[in-house]
Amino acid sequence: MAETEPFYLPQRNFWEKVKTFLNAELIHILAVLLFLLLAVFLLYPILAVLIKSIKSPEGLTLSYYVKFFTKGYHFHSLINTLVLGVINTVVCLVVGFCLAYLTTRGPMFLRKPLKFITMIPLIAPPYLFAISLIILFGRNGILTKALGLSWSIYGFSGVVIAQTLAFIPLAYLMIENTLMSLNPNLEESAYDLGASEVRIIRTITIPLLAPGILKAGLLVFVMTIAEFGNAAILGGRTPFLAPDTYQMIIGEADFEMGSVLSVVLIIPCILIFFLHNYLLTGKKFTTIGGKPVASEPRRMTPLVQIPFLIVSCLAGLMILISFGVVLVASFTQLLGVKNEIVLSHILNFDSNRAIYNSIKVSLIAAIIGAIMGTLLAYVLVRGKFFGRTFIEMISLSGFALPGTVIGIGYLLAFNTPPIKLTGGIMILALNCVFRFLAVGVEAGISKLHQINIEIEEASADLGANFMTTFYKIVLPIMLPAFIAGFIYTFMTAIVSLSAVVFLVSPGFELAAVKIFDAAAYGEIGIASATTMKLVLIVIICMMVLNYLTKKSKFEATQKGVSKTV
Amino acid sequence: MNDFPMLILNDIHKFYERNEVLKGITLEVSKGELVTFVGPSGCGKTTLLRIIGGFTNLDSGVVLLDRQKIDHLPPNLRDTRICFQNYALFPHMTVAGNVSYGLKIKKWKKEKIRDRVEELLKLVQLEGLGERMIDKLSGGQQQRVALARALSLEPKVLLLDEPLSNLDANLRLTMRGEIRKLQERLKITTIFVTHDQFEAMSISDRIVVMKEGLIQQIGSPIEIYEHPTNEFIAGFVGYVNLLDGTVEVVDIGLNMAILSTPIGKVQCVPEKSINAGEKVKLVIRPETIILSRSQPEKGINLFPGEVEIGMYVGSLAKYTVQLKGERIIIDQPNPRETGVFKTNEKIYLSLPENIHLLTRQ
Repeated sequence: MAETEPFYLPQRNFWEKVKTFLNAELIHILAVLLFLLLAVFLLYPILAVLIKSIKSPEGLTLSYYVKFFTKGYHFHSLINTLVLGVINTVVCLVVGFCLAYLTTRGPMFLRKPLKFITMIPLIAPPYLFAISLIILFGRNGILTKALGLSWSIYGFSGVVIAQTLAFIPLAYLMIENTLMSLNPNLEESAYDLGASEVRIIRTITIPLLAPGILKAGLLVFVMTIAEFGNAAILGGRTPFLAPDTYQMIIGEADFEMGSVLSVVLIIPCILIFFLHNYLLTGKKFTTIGGKPVASEPRRMTPLVQIPFLIVSCLAGLMILISFGVVLVASFTQLLGVKNEIVLSHILNFDSNRAIYNSIKVSLIAAIIGAIMGTLLAYVLVRGKFFGRTFIEMISLSGFALPGTVIGIGYLLAFNTPPIKLTGGIMILALNCVFRFLAVGVEAGISKLHQINIEIEEASADLGANFMTTFYKIVLPIMLPAFIAGFIYTFMTAIVSLSAVVFLVSPGFELAAVKIFDAAAYGEIGIASATTMKLVLIVIICMMVLNYLTKKSKFEATQKGVSKTV
Repeated sequence: MNDFPMLILNDIHKFYERNEVLKGITLEVSKGELVTFVGPSGCGKTTLLRIIGGFTNLDSGVVLLDRQKIDHLPPNLRDTRICFQNYALFPHMTVAGNVSYGLKIKKWKKEKIRDRVEELLKLVQLEGLGERMIDKLSGGQQQRVALARALSLEPKVLLLDEPLSNLDANLRLTMRGEIRKLQERLKITTIFVTHDQFEAMSISDRIVVMKEGLIQQIGSPIEIYEHPTNEFIAGFVGYVNLLDGTVEVVDIGLNMAILSTPIGKVQCVPEKSINAGEKVKLVIRPETIILSRSQPEKGINLFPGEVEIGMYVGSLAKYTVQLKGERIIIDQPNPRETGVFKTNEKIYLSLPENIHLLTRQ
């Protein structure tokens, strides 16, 4: 080694050149590829909806919008949707707060059971509650007949109840999270200075939790107005935006009006998404205390404990009853009418085929989703390039967009060449991938934030090039996030209804759509049985996830759990 | 009747599930006294403080505050106020908002509250900062606000839970002095919890050393340092050389005893009655041993040794000296005079005559 070659000597071999280029630029190449995919499968469909809503044969027009706001029916539907959102949000927040307060500050023996019951709706598709309400309060409902009720569950009140039950866990989880990170010493200090419990809640707990509660509220609001199943099944003659869109497209083939409805539905969602992500970040008081702590059980005054307990127990009881009746209905000829135990619903061929199809679609979606999520997370965390935040925003936005909108978007965008996908299985899988991409990306990002970049630098220091480092260091470390992303995407995809309802082709039915149709036609037994099968699948997924989490202690982000259809 | 204790703890037990974290704590604190609970983490000191404050329920025992039984009362009905380790200042309120929180609950008049807040801020040297938000304050200032807030209702007992642990070293020293000054000026009975034995030594009237839920010793800082009752305390409040010894001769007339130890015969003044043949432990603090290069002309307890390591740390030189197979640690003050002894240098150790003895009971 008398003379060392200068490292900048031109590479002689062509492949060497390619390799060097790839190593240096791989992250950027990946970024471009991923961005293209996002553009085609997320931005383009949304754009297609927008364009459809303002394009007439004569050119650009706002006439459809004018029609929307002048035709009483649609405007009424908008008002209904917003009112539903507000009522639902308020109720969920109140119930969520009572539950979270009891499970973080209340008596020890109550904490676990209450939390368990509250989390039950997470394993169910949201429309389970619509089915259970039909069983209880429908025209042939058990309680309708037993009590001789004249009240009809079909309409505004029914939708509110079903939606509330479905979204309690979401509100609860978010509020519980902020309550846990609220340093108990703050409340204890107020207590120490002579404040009563009511006063502590009013002057310390709620003001400090305000940003967290606001965040939870915004999320519940968006989820509620975008939710399709409950409103479609229980809405009856009361119009709501999401089911109306379906009616416009599938019932009347009025794509222009359907698109207008979609755009109107998107606007609050997008607004809130921005509010949620950008305005509220940094406005957190609760970080002051440091790490999350379960506070010591304190003596709650009856003044607080009794109303909190009543609200919580009522909610818990309704959740349990809803589950119970759907479970029983799966094994009964027609619950409340013909109470014979049968297995025909469980064994129903159409139902099982739909479940099989759903599993197939969700598996494809989960594989693609997990790979994309992991890669996107890596590019977003480690990459430093122009437009990084923009890509992050897009990749997370699929989750904020109403499923009906993405459904219509896919229908409009991929119905004709160059990319014709309608009628196939891929369109179902792909729309799930991009709607639920946020889950995998979030899991990956939070995993990567736990890994010090110095680990990768150490690998490079020891002579590894970018690809070796990525393959040998990054991928193994990110494996837990990959698996979490996979399972979450699978779980959410298999119960999701609102987008696929536009995209299924005759002869290839999905479980969620089957449930929707069965509930609409009054085949409650089949709807219940199919729902219970989905619940079972979700439970298995959660158990697998739980097992893996415990086994390898990896931090599967809990964020994705509460994401819904 | 001023000498009736302000705070009495009697046989306090506390379990967390099956784990007994306090195993019978009995203690009296006089009015105006500053008592420190010190001990390694997990010794129960913070739990004990929280029991006094009312945040943790005790399983058995009695807490008396100014002759009243208070252990059944919630914190808001006790005349004790606490300063948490992390201050727990209300981040959505101003300094004045924090300090006046308790006064508003007691329904003081507005003008009275304003005057009181001003007085308190003056007391903790934060005049003019009443309208500041909490997150715009430095750590030391936050500490002062927490103190002012705790003092606002003139509690009978002030509880301080590791109040200085979130400050940097210099500020900690300053605040330590200020807390002590304030406490002496207001003559307020104070319980101070810390894991820092030197902090405990420098601030307290009395120290309560705790370990594994039990009180090991209660005494003034000097008592604790000079006359620890067991090896744990001896080692906890500073480095110590412990030598096994057997009493050979006791001469009550001359007030002198001879002990045989691994390093040879040691003569000492017995501070309590010991008997010939008794096994004891000699507690010798590093700074009480004098080192010299040449053999002093006369003197007792002289031993030749060899320097193993010498470390110069500025105000001191720290040595490890080999002495007949025993390793002795020695602090030599002001090393400028003699210079630092080198490794393997032969030196002479002169042990003090009044050596504290641990007897085995």
